[in-house]
Amino acid sequence: MSVNAEAFSQFQQAILSLEQMSRPSDLSPEDQVARVKSVFERKLDESMAVQLESCIHCGQCAEACHFHVQTQDPKYIPVRKFELLRRFYRREKSPMRWIHRLYTRDITAGDLEEWQELVYDSCTECARCATVCPMGINIASMVNITRQGYAEAGLIPGGLQTVEQEQCEQGTVFGVGEEQFFGAIEWLKEEGLEAPLNKAKADILLVTTVVDIMLFKDALRSTVKILNHLGVDWTFSSHGFEAANFGLLSGLEDLQKHASGKVIDAAIACGAKTVIIPECGHAYPAIRWEGANERGEPLPFKVMAIAEYMGQEVSAGRLKLKKIGKDKKVTYHDPCKIARHGGVVEEPRQVLNALGVDFRDMESPGIMNWCCGGGAGVFLIDRAADLRNKAFEIKIKQVNDTGADSVVLTCGSCRANFLNGKEAAQWDKKIESLVELVGDNLA
Amino acid sequence: MSLLEFARGSAMEWSLMILVAGMAWRLIGALLLRRTKDLSEPRQSALGVIGSLRAIVVRSFPHRELAMPTAFSHIVGYTMHIGIGIVVFGFIPHILFFENITGASWSGLSNNVIEISAIFAIAAMVAQLLRRILHPVLRTISTLDDYMSWLVTILPLLTGVAAHSHWISSYETVMAIHLLSVELLFVWIPFSKLMHGIWVVPSRAHLGTVFGRRGVRI
Repeated sequence: MSVNAEAFSQFQQAILSLEQMSRPSDLSPEDQVARVKSVFERKLDESMAVQLESCIHCGQCAEACHFHVQTQDPKYIPVRKFELLRRFYRREKSPMRWIHRLYTRDITAGDLEEWQELVYDSCTECARCATVCPMGINIASMVNITRQGYAEAGLIPGGLQTVEQEQCEQGTVFGVGEEQFFGAIEWLKEEGLEAPLNKAKADILLVTTVVDIMLFKDALRSTVKILNHLGVDWTFSSHGFEAANFGLLSGLEDLQKHASGKVIDAAIACGAKTVIIPECGHAYPAIRWEGANERGEPLPFKVMAIAEYMGQEVSAGRLKLKKIGKDKKVTYHDPCKIARHGGVVEEPRQVLNALGVDFRDMESPGIMNWCCGGGAGVFLIDRAADLRNKAFEIKIKQVNDTGADSVVLTCGSCRANFLNGKEAAQWDKKIESLVELVGDNLA
Repeated sequence: MSLLEFARGSAMEWSLMILVAGMAWRLIGALLLRRTKDLSEPRQSALGVIGSLRAIVVRSFPHRELAMPTAFSHIVGYTMHIGIGIVVFGFIPHILFFENITGASWSGLSNNVIEISAIFAIAAMVAQLLRRILHPVLRTISTLDDYMSWLVTILPLLTGVAAHSHWISSYETVMAIHLLSVELLFVWIPFSKLMHGIWVVPSRAHLGTVFGRRGVRI
């Protein structure tokens, strides 16, 4: 149960070179502003209007943001991050726009440049700020809409833009496409595992991610082991195997829809009752919460994160696990998109308890977790490395305070960011995957 | 027409009309925008409604995890709001004013309670202003609306205390100024952040619904 150091090093190098590989937007500054505004116009609805009207400038959100708390730089106050959206609302959509226009500045190309760092580098859309806002403003959703505007204007930061362009144009991510997926299936078979592909009918569709294929193959193998161990009727589909959704990360709505659509179509084609999302914090909300809205109708199947599925099976007594023992002291990091955005909080803990380890929760667990600092694609933005590592210091302290020897994760992005942070800080804690722990301890 | 007659008469009528019409315009204008239906399957069908109601109530109190960093905001905020509430709805002349408009009446509080409440509210507001000016976070995000709203809120408190305490010999003049300051507040509310008293309900409800459907007690 380990990460291939060579593969991880290559992955880090690939991230470093992403910036140079991106093609900058050829739109004029005026067109960029117009495109951002057109997205804002399209996306602003009643719930956003109410929330944009509500801010009382109390500044409490700053206390919840890891980027602000760690830097004490007022520019990272969460409420500032959606300033451009608010300005647009006040000038164009607010019932009081005829007054607001007199003193609210219009969005300029210079503003777009200035706010890019705030919208991408310093916001993981973790929504911790939403837990403290006394007015109940969902700041993460506002930042997400702002990102959609930026994406439409071709203003995604270099590294993230490169990945988005690759997934958009070639259908691959980091060079991983169908060929590498088939290679992974073959590898699973060589490992002695049954890995059904393209079954005409199956109860469960299992999807994977580029990160698992490239870096965390053991997580993929463990997931397959668990499903086989449970004896459920499942399949992979070559028509929809990639759950990673860089459209969601970058804000490019069409790509997000296209990437989710392939998985949804594959699930419908095989009559799946459940789609299991691997350890990927972004793939989960992309299909679980956004999939139906993008498609315009409810999905005819359940969507479950692998941690959620394992918790369900452990609770039902179907998934029996060997007791590892109390000598193993572990803590658990709640990925923002799985826990705070997804409500999957108890299930991973049920699994850890079933493993019989000495489990120690961090301070501020569950929906109040501190983000690791790499979510929403921030771990792909090289220029954000210092800020990201600064935010990660909170995580290091939290984990150290538990006295655990290792921290267990159920999100590939968090895991990659933890590995980066561990390397940068020369941290001695072990980073482990929940699904791999389970896969190695099936009873 | 004396200044007091003007303040009690047409100024009051116009300011109340602007207050009601302005608030209705702003509220309806936002609420009539397109609504987006969430088609994702909730964890349980009732969770959205429960989450919405829960957020409206629970969000009035600081989250345990962030109670300390936000303690100043909450203590000062509650002191100001409760103090103003007691003064507005507990002072007998104010109750008579409301009775005149709505027909509803209730028992008033003693003058001592009103005076202490007003002093606490003013002190809290001064503390808020100082924090807004001195704290780097608040200074960065503050706008003209924040300072104007502070001013038009504290003016009725100050003029009310002045009228009640007979600091100024001409009662009629100070009373007229007090009424005009209240009318300024009425006119300002629909155009400012002071509308948060209304927005707070749908805004919290939306957040509670989104997260409630996901089984998150936010």
